Amino acid sequence: MHQTVLFTSLVLMMAVAAIFLFSLSRSGAGDGSKKAPKLGALRFVLFIGALVLGAAVSIGSLRPWPRAVAAGADVVSVKVTGSQWSWEIDRKTIPVGKPVTFNIATTDVSHGFAVYDAGDQLLVQSQAMPGYINRVSYTFRTAGKYRIFCMEYCGVAHHDMTDEILVVAQ
Amino acid sequence: MAQANAPGTISAPSCPADGAVKLTMLLTVAVLLLMMAFGLTMRMAQGALIQIDPTIFYRLMTAHGIGMVGIAGMSGSAIMWYFLSRHVSLAGWVFWIHLGLFVVGVVAILGSIFIGGYAGAWTFLFPLPAISGGVWDVGAAATYLIGVILVGVGFLVYLVEVGRAVIERYGNFANALGWPLLFSGKQDDVPPPTVIAAAAIVVFNGISTVVGAAVLIISLINLYLPSFTLDALLAKNMIYFFGHVFINASIYMAVIAVYEIVPEYTQQQWKVSRSFVASWNAVVFLVMAVYTHHLFQDGVMPAWALVMGQIISYASGIPLLVITTFSLLTYLYRSGIRWDLASALLVTGIFGWSIGAVPAIIDGMISVNNIMHNTQWVPGHFHLYLLLGQVALTLGFSAWLTRTGVHASLSGWNARGFTIYLLGGMGFAIVFLVSGASSIPRRWATHLPEWHLQDQVGSLFALAAILGVGIIVLPITKRLVLSMRG
Repeated sequence: MHQTVLFTSLVLMMAVAAIFLFSLSRSGAGDGSKKAPKLGALRFVLFIGALVLGAAVSIGSLRPWPRAVAAGADVVSVKVTGSQWSWEIDRKTIPVGKPVTFNIATTDVSHGFAVYDAGDQLLVQSQAMPGYINRVSYTFRTAGKYRIFCMEYCGVAHHDMTDEILVVAQ
Repeated sequence: MAQANAPGTISAPSCPADGAVKLTMLLTVAVLLLMMAFGLTMRMAQGALIQIDPTIFYRLMTAHGIGMVGIAGMSGSAIMWYFLSRHVSLAGWVFWIHLGLFVVGVVAILGSIFIGGYAGAWTFLFPLPAISGGVWDVGAAATYLIGVILVGVGFLVYLVEVGRAVIERYGNFANALGWPLLFSGKQDDVPPPTVIAAAAIVVFNGISTVVGAAVLIISLINLYLPSFTLDALLAKNMIYFFGHVFINASIYMAVIAVYEIVPEYTQQQWKVSRSFVASWNAVVFLVMAVYTHHLFQDGVMPAWALVMGQIISYASGIPLLVITTFSLLTYLYRSGIRWDLASALLVTGIFGWSIGAVPAIIDGMISVNNIMHNTQWVPGHFHLYLLLGQVALTLGFSAWLTRTGVHASLSGWNARGFTIYLLGGMGFAIVFLVSGASSIPRRWATHLPEWHLQDQVGSLFALAAILGVGIIVLPITKRLVLSMRG
C-alpha cells in the first residue's frame, strides 16, 4: 500500500504540473489585452466532478471503518504503556493469524506506538494519550520479529524509544 | 486611502507603516535563511553526514518549526496589510506594535531554546513542556510559551485592526464577505478580492489565535501549578486547531499578492464572481473544521470527528484547485504576461500550493494516515506548499516590492537562482515523500543506516534550495535596505 500511495500521489502531482505547463506554455500567445477565456461551464463540470469523486472515494475508503477495533473471544489483548523513553508491553509473543488489539496508554506525555515489519514498513500505529487508552487492532500474517518505534515526539531520547515483539506460528 | 504604485518603479511609501512592511520582509529573508540552514543541518545529521548531539538536534527542530511558522505568518500579515491598505484605511502604528511584539516574542523563543535548552517542538504538545525528562527546566518552557503568547497577542492586535478597518469601510462583515452578492446575485459595493480574503482571514485566524492563546496560557499556568491541569485530548484539539488554521492563514494572506500583482502583468483585474465569494466563505468553515485530520491516530476521538476530518480534507482542496488555481491559469492563458522574477515566483507559489495539496489530501484519508502519520510524508507535503508555496509568494511579493525594471527580469542570476530554488525545493520535498512511503519517521535525531541514503539526497536538494533562495534574495535585500534608507 505504501508504494501505491506514493505512486498515486506522484501521478496526480504530475497531472497538476502538466496543467500548469500547458497553461503557461500558452501564456504569451496573446497581445496582453485579451480577456481571460470564459470557462465557467468547465469550472462547474470540474466542481461537480470533484464532488462526485470525493463522495466515491470517501465511501470506498471509510467502509470498512479504518479504525475498527477487533472484538471477540479469539482476540489477543496486549497492554502497552509508554514512558519517557521506553515501552512496557505485557505480552511480547503474539500468535500469527489472530487479531490483536493493542491497548495503549502513557504515564507521562504523548507517545506514538507503531509496529514495523522486518522490511521496515510501518504496519499499524496509534497515539498514546495521557489520561486515555487508545485501542488499535491488527492481524499479523507472518511470523518473525517486529520492531516498535515511537512516532510522536516525546523529548530528547524519542528516537531511542524502541522495542520488539515476536510473532510466532501457533 | 493609499493607491497602487505605478508598475515598473520601486514602491513609494504607499501604505501605513510602509517601513514596517519592508522591515518585515528583511526580517523574513534573514529568518528564512537561518531556519533553512537549521533544516539542512538536521537532514545532514539524519544522513550521518555530520554528528550532532540529539539535544542540539531537537533544539534546532523546535527553532526550525516555530521559526518557519512564525515568519510565514508574519510575512503573510505584511503582504495582506500592504495590499489591504489600498482599499481600507489602516492605522500604521498597529503594524509597528504587531512587528514589535513579534520581535520581542522571537527573542524570548530563541533564548528559551538556545540558552534555556527548551526542545519541546514548536507544537508544545501538552504536557511535554512541563515534563522534559530533566532536559530543560520550567523557566525555559515558560519563556518559550510567553514568547509564543507575545507573538499571538501581536497577531490579535493586527487582526482586530484589520477587522475594524473593514467594518468601517463596508459596514459589517457580511458585506465585506460578499454575502449580498452570494445570496442575491448583486451587491452595490462589491468588495475587491483582497477585502473578501482579509475579512475571511480575520474570522478564522482570529478565532484560532484566541484558542491558541488559551491553551498557551493554561500550559503556562500548569508549569508552575501542576494541579491546574488540562485534559490532554482537549489540549491537543486546541493546539492542532490553532496550528492548522494559523499556518494555512499564512498562505491565504500571501495569496493576496497574486490577486493584486498578477493583474498588473495580465492587464485584467481579478474578478469577484459568486464562485469566488462562495469559495472564500467556504474556506472560513473548511479551514477551521478540517484540523481533526491531525488526530486520526487518537482512537478516543469521536468517530464522526475523524470522518469529518477526512471529508473536509478533501473538500478543502476544491476551493484551492477549482477556484484559485483554475482562475490563475485562465488569467494567464494568452495573457501575454511578462515573465520576471516576481511573476515567476507568484505563479510558482500557487503551483507549489496546488501540488502540495495532492499528498496532503491523500494523507487526509484515515486508511492512508494509518501508515503515513508522523512519517516523513508529512514534511513532504507541507514543504511543497510552504517552501514552494508560501515562501515563493513571499519572495515574489518582495521582488515586486523592490522591482526596478531590469533588475527584476527573469534572466542572469535571477533566472539561475529561481531555477536552482525550484529544482532544489521540488527534489527536497519529493525525497521526503519517498521517505514517508519508506515509513521513515519524522522528528528523529538519528536514523537507521538503511535510511541514510535518502537523507543524504535530501540534504543535497536542501543545499540547492538554500543556494537558490540566497541568490534570489541577495539583490532584493540590498534594494530593501536602500529603499528604507531613501
